[in-house]
Amino acid sequence: MAQVDKKAGLLRKSSASRKPLKEKVVLMYDEIFGLEDPAKNNPRFWEELFLMKVNLEYLEGKLESLDGDEVMKIKDNINSLFHNCIQALAEEHQIKVVNALQTLCALLRGVHQRNKSTSGFDIINMLMGFDKAELRMKALMESLDAQLCGDRSHSLKSLCFKLLLCLVTVTDNISQNTILEYVMINSIFEAILQILSHTPSRIQHGYDAVVLLVLLVNYRKYESVNPYIVKLSIVDDETTLNGMGLVISQALSEYNRQYKDKEEEAQGGFFSAFTNMVGSMFIADAEEKITVHTNEAILLALYEAVHLNRNFITVLAQSHPEIDIVSTPSVAAPTMPIAPLGTTPPSLDMLASPELPLDPNLQTSNLLITFLKYSSIVMQDTKDEHRLSSAKLCLIILTCIAEDQYANSFLHDDNMSFRVNLHRMPMRHRKKLADKSLPSRPLVCAVLDLMVEFIVSHMMKDFPMDLYVRCVQVIHKLICYQKKCRIRLHYTWRELWTALINLLKFLLSHETTLLAKYNIFNLALLVVNLFNMFITYGDTFLPTPSSYDELYYEIVRMHQVFDNLYCMVLRVSTNTGQWKEPASKVTHALGNIRAIINHFNPKIESFAAVNHISQLSEDQVLEVVRSNYDTLTLKLQDGLDQYERYSEQPKEVAFFKELVRSISLNVRKNVSLTTLSQDVLLKEFSTIS
Amino acid sequence: MSAIGRLSLVMGDTDVAFPPSQVEDLQLSPSSSSASAVSCPSSPSSSSTSSSCSDHQHLQCTSPSSSDSSSTRGCSPPLDVISEGYGELDFVIDPEMAQKACQEVLQKLQRQQGDSEPIGDNTDHRLDNGAIPPELPEGGNCKPPKISEEDEDEEDVGEDPPCGTVRSVQRKQKNDSSKQSWLLRLFESKLFDVSMAISYLYNSKEPGVQAYIGNRLFSFRHEGVDFYLPQLLNMYVHMDEEVGDAIKPYIVHRCRQSVGFSLQCVWLLGAYSSDMHISAQRHSRGARLRKVILSDELKPSGSHTRREAHPSSEACLSPSKRTHQRSKSDAMLSVSLSSGLKRTASNPKVESSQDEDPNSSCESTDTETPARLTPQREFIKSLMGIGKRLATLPTKEQKTQRLISELSLLNHKLPARVWLPTATFEHHVVRVPHTQAVVLNSKDKAPYLIYVEVLECESLETSPVPARIPETRIRSTRSAENLPDCGITAAEPRVASFTTVPNYDNDDEAWSVDDIGDLQVEFPEVHTSSCDNISQFSVDSITSQESKEPIFIAAGDIRRRLSEQLAHTPTSFRRDPEDPSAVALKEPWQEKVRRIREASPYGHLPNWRLLSVIVKCGDDLRQELLAFQVLSQLQSIWIQERVPLWIKPYKILVISSDSGMIEPVVNAVSLHQVKKQSQLSLLDYFLQEHGGYTTEAFLTAQRNFVQSCAGYCLICYLLQVKDRHNGNILLDSEGHIIHIDFGFILSSSPRNLGFETSAFKLTSEFVDVMGGLDGDMFNYYKMLMLQGLIAARKHMEKVIQIVEIMQQGSHLPCFHGSSTIRTLKERFHMNLTEEQLQVLVEQMVDGSMRSLTTKLYDGFQYLTNGIM
Repeated sequence: MAQVDKKAGLLRKSSASRKPLKEKVVLMYDEIFGLEDPAKNNPRFWEELFLMKVNLEYLEGKLESLDGDEVMKIKDNINSLFHNCIQALAEEHQIKVVNALQTLCALLRGVHQRNKSTSGFDIINMLMGFDKAELRMKALMESLDAQLCGDRSHSLKSLCFKLLLCLVTVTDNISQNTILEYVMINSIFEAILQILSHTPSRIQHGYDAVVLLVLLVNYRKYESVNPYIVKLSIVDDETTLNGMGLVISQALSEYNRQYKDKEEEAQGGFFSAFTNMVGSMFIADAEEKITVHTNEAILLALYEAVHLNRNFITVLAQSHPEIDIVSTPSVAAPTMPIAPLGTTPPSLDMLASPELPLDPNLQTSNLLITFLKYSSIVMQDTKDEHRLSSAKLCLIILTCIAEDQYANSFLHDDNMSFRVNLHRMPMRHRKKLADKSLPSRPLVCAVLDLMVEFIVSHMMKDFPMDLYVRCVQVIHKLICYQKKCRIRLHYTWRELWTALINLLKFLLSHETTLLAKYNIFNLALLVVNLFNMFITYGDTFLPTPSSYDELYYEIVRMHQVFDNLYCMVLRVSTNTGQWKEPASKVTHALGNIRAIINHFNPKIESFAAVNHISQLSEDQVLEVVRSNYDTLTLKLQDGLDQYERYSEQPKEVAFFKELVRSISLNVRKNVSLTTLSQDVLLKEFSTIS
Repeated sequence: MSAIGRLSLVMGDTDVAFPPSQVEDLQLSPSSSSASAVSCPSSPSSSSTSSSCSDHQHLQCTSPSSSDSSSTRGCSPPLDVISEGYGELDFVIDPEMAQKACQEVLQKLQRQQGDSEPIGDNTDHRLDNGAIPPELPEGGNCKPPKISEEDEDEEDVGEDPPCGTVRSVQRKQKNDSSKQSWLLRLFESKLFDVSMAISYLYNSKEPGVQAYIGNRLFSFRHEGVDFYLPQLLNMYVHMDEEVGDAIKPYIVHRCRQSVGFSLQCVWLLGAYSSDMHISAQRHSRGARLRKVILSDELKPSGSHTRREAHPSSEACLSPSKRTHQRSKSDAMLSVSLSSGLKRTASNPKVESSQDEDPNSSCESTDTETPARLTPQREFIKSLMGIGKRLATLPTKEQKTQRLISELSLLNHKLPARVWLPTATFEHHVVRVPHTQAVVLNSKDKAPYLIYVEVLECESLETSPVPARIPETRIRSTRSAENLPDCGITAAEPRVASFTTVPNYDNDDEAWSVDDIGDLQVEFPEVHTSSCDNISQFSVDSITSQESKEPIFIAAGDIRRRLSEQLAHTPTSFRRDPEDPSAVALKEPWQEKVRRIREASPYGHLPNWRLLSVIVKCGDDLRQELLAFQVLSQLQSIWIQERVPLWIKPYKILVISSDSGMIEPVVNAVSLHQVKKQSQLSLLDYFLQEHGGYTTEAFLTAQRNFVQSCAGYCLICYLLQVKDRHNGNILLDSEGHIIHIDFGFILSSSPRNLGFETSAFKLTSEFVDVMGGLDGDMFNYYKMLMLQGLIAARKHMEKVIQIVEIMQQGSHLPCFHGSSTIRTLKERFHMNLTEEQLQVLVEQMVDGSMRSLTTKLYDGFQYLTNGIM
């Protein structure tokens, strides 16, 4: 048999340009596509078929070329092909199993390509027939489960995952894929968990397993009971959750690494000299080059894990050594065609051993740090659709994290301090921070840095309003926690204040254009209320008395912005119109800030007048501030430290649906490439037999 | 307790009747007594047991000797040990009876020299012993397997019987009956305590005496003997066979009773054997015993019955009904998963040694498994492994990060049947708050300090291991929870576990938060730390949304509160990446306990405790252990003599000759850290911490300082403690100083060009804190030293003995040279009058103060190690 395969292979290779000669397997396929039952003349037909090397292109092409009526005619044969594939999965002979799996892949993909528009029902009918579907799918899922859990070779398991991914991505909209009903009933969740909890199998299949899981979780998420959601939400086995965390962490850090490589490439040598000379003119060009495709599937997996499973939060803080080092490609890599970046499973051999490697140069890292770095890269550029949705998802994940009690406790843990090198957008007016100068700080500082960075770097014409709102909310949630637990974070709050004031300034100057599209008052209210938090509750979380003075200094210094904002909201709120209500809220919220400005400004002026100084130094202003607190009365505002909790439904439904759709497309595209390349790998089985 | 003491006393004395060589055969008797004894301490009202004991007592007293029962009621004072034990039990048995039995046995011992009929006698005794188990219903079950173990023991230790008898005959001839008669009186006397027993065991060459003491050990309180365990084992390893034979039954007996004791023995035997040549024959003796213990042949014979006797203990321990093997996801996972989801998969690897089963993981809940020592050994090994790996990292920061991540992995294996041997109560370790761990200051090694959360329990061997509670204390599983008929059968246990934990009750809101709707605002979380102190701040209480009236606050108040709160927080140290331990050690212990308890998922349990331990890897702690013993001995001497000297011996656990654990001194930081962080002189620091000269707090702290300083000056002088730089002297929050690091004592000193020639370290800074040279406190200091020295001198033997026994076979640097003991004795100045002693103290104080070398040494340390 091996000989036949070899011969066929040789023939095909030599005559690649011409019309391929028909191999035996192709003839057999033709028989299936005929009207007769192929087993009628040859009772051993199916047995022989699965001993033959699969010709995926032919099978897929053939299915694709058929139109609806033709398909209905040969439905019986396809049904029995499907049936026999499933039966072959139970065979002892691994080669048969492999061929059956590949045939199934081809069937599914062929069927998909043929009827892009139709729903899952037709596919079920065509492949299995309605009457037998339940039975067939049960058998299929059971044997897949057995393959995945059993002691099989990695390539076989890998093929099982490919098949499952094919199955899941048959339709663009996953929720229309009715076949998945059967996957819901016959759960393979446990198999996925087992793969993730077991180190060697996680290294091989972790990526596929996580992608599969995240797709299954999103099947009819909002309409029905999805057992995968239920099960995922209650997993509490650390090993499994950790395994999942490692897979995500690895994929994200692989992306970070690729980005860094590209960045260095772009900045190295002549180019850097050139840019230095000419200035920042070309930075935009460099930007373009650096883009690396984001990996939404993994990001979505992180989201689902954080959002659904409370135990997963602990995984975020689970330390592991940094995986920035280029790892040697895994076994499968050399023969694989280079797939689009970020969408292939990264080579996963760094964490093969449960023991942490002993390299003193390795910084310990954790999933959260990797995620923050990833976010800092993704958020740099939100121009294209993918990156925008990635950035949005990052902020949603951060929102979930900022709401979580436990996450907050380790974010603010003084003993868990790290150096987090966030990527900062190169900008004209600031220098790149040297990596080494960063002190080791609690993780929340990195989150705040990231938020500040986002605020200062996205004030552009195409204003990402939604992201800004989320960003300010994340900050608010963190501060609420600090206030509640009286944590005095040693953070340079001034940077945040400056960024927020600049944001208000931007909103004011682009009022007309922005107001056409967004409710800018909502964002303004959030920002003003952040200041109110600092003003009225500063005693509970500010690190030093002088930081409270600085806050006043900053407000007084930038009073123009607040004055203008007040004028604007007053104007809008006195007019009738859709913005009346939100604008008047901002007017109320500005009360304390205006009180501060009105209280201190005259004092400072008179101080300057008395001392005959035209320009007061910062210290002098601070002195005035310090000595005049007692005559200032503030009003306590309600509900400053309360926030709306994040909920996916109904606000985010559309976003996630669209996201899952794009992930589905991406995965399908990917599977097609890798399944074929898997072919080469599977030679190992032809020799086994 | 008393029951054990009594029972084993009787048993032990019975054994004395045999020639020592046969003691091996008779190990059966002490061990069979353990069958009944084991069950006693655990049952608080063991009336049945004690009555059966008394029955047994009668048998003992009447059958072997024909002494009339009236004489047993005589008024001879009971043995002190027995009377001690009797305190809490009702007088079912007369203490005199037991004493009588003891006497008889001793007489028999004398008689034995002459006639050789003890064999018949022995069998009688044996029968008596054998008669016990049937009376104790539980004991009977466990008897047969134990006998078989004994057989193995015999093979292990005892040479062939004929040889033994020959030897015993020889020994008999050597015995001198007249000598024994006064010895007998001493042994019977009230004054005869563990210390004396050890001393006689060490000094006496008489096999009879040795055997007697060996048996007599059974009658002492466990704590008393435990103190001398290093001495006993060192004698066992390094001294004559006879001594070893005398000690062994007791050791074996105790090992059966307690896993903790077994491991102590294993570690100490290993450590004390390490100095010997492999070829040495005796070496195999210690190693053999170690192997026997490790092989776990010494199982507790009564464990079954004990466990059955306390089914109720389960209820108080686990917050949920979940078993350790656990939970929901496992229950849901189909059979196919069972092998894959073992938590061990991500466990840090620990090297498995050849003498234990590498497959048995830490979390085996099953006490029936042969490896009852394994979990604890694995636990200790992983801690040591961490230390070893940390040592390879270059910077403190990396070490700290690494430590935290290693410990978080270790956490996955907890809770387990593991414990901290330095603790004084029985417990299980449930969690290591990994972020609290710190690396200590050390140049090339990596000792580190960890905090360990434990749950106190009745018995670490039989109480069930607490169930694991996830870090996040599962409160809600969000959207999934409300989904109908999701088909999770396992949802019920989770709910059950949820409701049994009182803390969770308030979280009902959290369960449904997401499902109620959009505009849910966050409810104040009841279980967080903030809730109790919220009320003290007006701002918070005002925040309630009902108040419609605008509330005004003064900006000045906010600013004031901020500065006040910052001022009120106790002076804490700055975070210093080069000295991560300073902050952690400075935090008041109570504060730390509260903080960690709040953050812990186990914190709500009433039996939750926090312990801490320093793990040292690559250091020989045997000298530290010796110093601990000497310090403890001196401390009890001073307490006994009512000298108000203050010292703080800290517990040492020797695990091998190059690793161990130390019980940290809480609320104490080193003088180096004090000076570096505060940049103040010691006196100014005292003023800053405790208040002005005249405040009570300052005066108390000053008195504490003087008392501790005097105590440690004496210690430093007597033990010749060297390497006294400021990194090795701690200052606690009450003003006491505590010396740590006894790496250079007695005959050893660091090779440092003859620095530190003075008797002890007394800097002018110390004197300043004491109020200067002319102050009353300084005179008080000198007087304390004199009193302390006189008291110590009175009990010199007790101190010398500890050191002397440990010198046997030891290659420790502190025993270098031949004059260690002689010079130690000389430093007690037995020949001086009290007036002369006073002069001596004056001289030493003067000399130390004027000592240039102290200053030089501090300067040297500052230059070489950066220690201020």
